[in-house]
Amino acid sequence: MSAATTEQRRFATLLAPATVIVVAGLVLPLLLMARYSLNRFEPGQFMVEALTFGNYVKIISDPYYRRIAVTTVTMAFTATAICLVVGFPVASAIARAPARWKTALLLLVILPLFVGNAVRAAGWMVALGQKGLLNWILLRLGIVSEPAAFMYTWGAVCAGIVSVNLPYVVLTLQSVLEGTEKSAVDAAQSLGATPFTTWRLVTLPLAMPGVVAAGLLSFILAMNAYATPVLLGGPTFQMMAPSVADQVLQQSNWPLGAALAFTLTAITLILTATVSFTLARTHAGA
Amino acid sequence: MAGIRIESLAKRYNAVSAVDGVTLDVRDGEFLVLLGPSGCGKTTTLRMIAGFVAPSEGCVRIGARDVTHEPPYRRNIGLVFQNYALFPHLTVEENVAFGLRRRRVGEAAIRTRVATALSRVKLDGFGGRYPRAMSGGQQQRVAIARAIVIEPDVLLLDEPLSNLDAQLRHDVRGELRRLQTELGITTIMVTHDQDEAMSVADRLAVMEKGQVRQVGTPSEIYRRPADRFVASFVGRANFYAGRAERGIFVTASGLRLPVADLAEGADTLMIRPEAVGLRPAGADGLAATVETATYLGAGWELELRLAGGERLSVVAPDAGEHWRQGQILTAHVAPTAGVGMRTGS
Ligand SMILES: Nc1ncnc2c1ncn2[C@@H]1O[C@H](COP(=O)(O)OP(=O)(O)O)[C@@H](O)[C@H]1O
Ligand SMILES: [Mg+2]
Repeated sequence: MSAATTEQRRFATLLAPATVIVVAGLVLPLLLMARYSLNRFEPGQFMVEALTFGNYVKIISDPYYRRIAVTTVTMAFTATAICLVVGFPVASAIARAPARWKTALLLLVILPLFVGNAVRAAGWMVALGQKGLLNWILLRLGIVSEPAAFMYTWGAVCAGIVSVNLPYVVLTLQSVLEGTEKSAVDAAQSLGATPFTTWRLVTLPLAMPGVVAAGLLSFILAMNAYATPVLLGGPTFQMMAPSVADQVLQQSNWPLGAALAFTLTAITLILTATVSFTLARTHAGA
Repeated sequence: MAGIRIESLAKRYNAVSAVDGVTLDVRDGEFLVLLGPSGCGKTTTLRMIAGFVAPSEGCVRIGARDVTHEPPYRRNIGLVFQNYALFPHLTVEENVAFGLRRRRVGEAAIRTRVATALSRVKLDGFGGRYPRAMSGGQQQRVAIARAIVIEPDVLLLDEPLSNLDAQLRHDVRGELRRLQTELGITTIMVTHDQDEAMSVADRLAVMEKGQVRQVGTPSEIYRRPADRFVASFVGRANFYAGRAERGIFVTASGLRLPVADLAEGADTLMIRPEAVGLRPAGADGLAATVETATYLGAGWELELRLAGGERLSVVAPDAGEHWRQGQILTAHVAPTAGVGMRTGS
């Protein structure tokens, strides 16, 4: 009994600094923002103290904001799906690679993370622009007769987000695939399962926790993407994180910005929780 | 069911030879054990038979079929691994049914065959469990059920008992042998444990450094080992350098021992410790002095020094004598007790 209390006290002491930082750096601003989101915005007067859900009602009822939300969710789902489909074979290959190559391969995956999102997006701008690398190649090969518009499209933003998220997805999947038993795969084949059947019935189900983790990570990152949609999507392409910044920085509309931020967080949380819960139930046996 | 024939099978990894020209004939229904120290190429040989490792040379035949270039999933082989390799996301029943589903067996037949297989390994009623809710011994029995339920042409087991504790290992190896006899399925088991090998095998193939040193029944291997390596791997042995002279082995110090079936050219004599008889001093045999005497309950373990200075380890049953250090006695080595062999071969 007294031992347990001592243990608990030591635990509390260890956790105290982190708790202070989390409360000061995360909880307080969030509470402040929550409060702001219930205020009213009067042009010229900046922010008027109030207790109204008007901002939220506006976000839900205004087709302009609804479209932004739909674009954001669709983008996050698509980019995540692409990341998983592209990332899985890469992660499998790394997991199966001989030990002496593994470090080099992992370094290759991590390398892009050394370059910030904004810098990378700038790189994509060079590659995808009117006079960019891609157009130059397509023109040279005669596939197009005049430069195609890649920049400021949905596809450009999607490619950008995929390139940002892919290393995280590959690393997460690789660490899970690394831990799964190679001999279960051999067992499946000895029992008559072709390589594809083995993948479908053994490799994939065993990797499912990793797929879920990688998918959620990518989804959350994509939902909150800022630099990529701004730089590659241009002024007319709207996603939620940039629109929060736009309300706060450009329109000085803190209440609406705060409400948008909470809506973004809520959508992310609800979708994440739904997916996790559903998968946890279908895989309850494993 | 079918026999297995592997011919000049070899596997090289870069410059390293993991398996170096193995030829083996396993008869239909036979239980053959590949025995050898760790790293001698047993697993690689087994994985070439199963189809997971492509041979650098040689071929594998199962029955009349040359399967050298067949992928594992078309070889109809039952495989049991050291670490069980069950599917953790499937129940015991689904694990066992896995191979039957791949063979498109009907659901009703699957149910009865799975139940039969589980009852063969004494796991009736465990079908709904997940592997992680079972002990190591139970998991290994599920793995065995999963391998035999598909009625494979051959059953391959790679150190199937080495993750189990001593008592369980003893039990499971007994069950394994019983099951193999009941089903009459051609079986190759790999192990580095000579007790295990001796106790289950119809025949043993002793491997060293990627090559088979000797193939034979457990008693042939034990009594008439082909070389020094085999002799010391399957039990304890005394070795003496010397030469063969028309049925007599003459040791370096000049001791002359009659040996039955002594091949000319033999340069080493092997004598098993328990093949030596102990008699009172002065009897017919080799005069010896007891250097150490250890009583083990069931018998004695003696270290003797012979007249020529050689040492002789002896294991003798307890017949009421009390051996003491310094005691003089006679060691009797029957002509059939010694085995001449050529070293450096
Ligand atoms: N994939 C591989 N790459 C390189 N060397 C290997 C590989 N597999 C096995 N070996 C080598 O081949 C030899 C035999 O290995 P193995 O067949 O596993 O022996 P055993 O099962 O008898 O312990 C060992 O020296 C091992 O290091
Ligand atoms: Mg091995």
